[in-house]
Amino acid sequence: MDQKLPKNYLAESILVTIFCCLPLGIVGIVFASQVNSKFAAGDYEGALASSKMAKSWMIWGLVAGGIVLITYIVFVFALGGLAIFGLSNY
Amino acid sequence: MRLKYIGLLLLGLVVALLYFYINPSNVSYFPKCPLYATTGFYCPGCGSQRATHELLHLHALGVLRQNSLYILGLLILIYHLMVSLLNTVFHKNLYNYIYHPKTPWILLIIILVFWVFRNLPYYPFNLLAPQ
Repeated sequence: MDQKLPKNYLAESILVTIFCCLPLGIVGIVFASQVNSKFAAGDYEGALASSKMAKSWMIWGLVAGGIVLITYIVFVFALGGLAIFGLSNY
Repeated sequence: MRLKYIGLLLLGLVVALLYFYINPSNVSYFPKCPLYATTGFYCPGCGSQRATHELLHLHALGVLRQNSLYILGLLILIYHLMVSLLNTVFHKNLYNYIYHPKTPWILLIIILVFWVFRNLPYYPFNLLAPQ
């Protein structure tokens, strides 16, 4: 077998699942398992397709986590600003 | 490329300092888990911010109490980075168990069972919920 095993993004998906707050990484783990099993069965094209899916789910998890974090920070600053400047008008 | 790694390192350092000096249990302005905030269910990652604080203070028991899978996840990441580093930089040919056909399934089952168990409000399952 001269074809290289595609990256399965398992470590990255676990990072998203356990250290971020969104279970999207779990879907990434499912695709990671497909990369390994399809490659072991000799299905190189299928393994490559699963690798791409695993990557996009992992990135979606990161992006979703980032959006939630940024929204949260903006929200906290807006509320904090409102609390400080809003009250100082009185 | 080198600038990217320096940036990531600096970001990591700032985040580490933040989580070292501030205990997320004591303040309300750290981001909450969106799943917990909307549904009241813990996700597999709940408690990781508090676990980071405990880890930076080297309280292993505290890390386990906040999120029992935190140390396992950390070990997998370190293992993956070490094997990748040895294989690419030092041109070794080590087998990476991340690519074993059974590894992702075993981890998936562990995470799913952990997810269900930590949401059960009965002893001893409730020990898995973040404190």
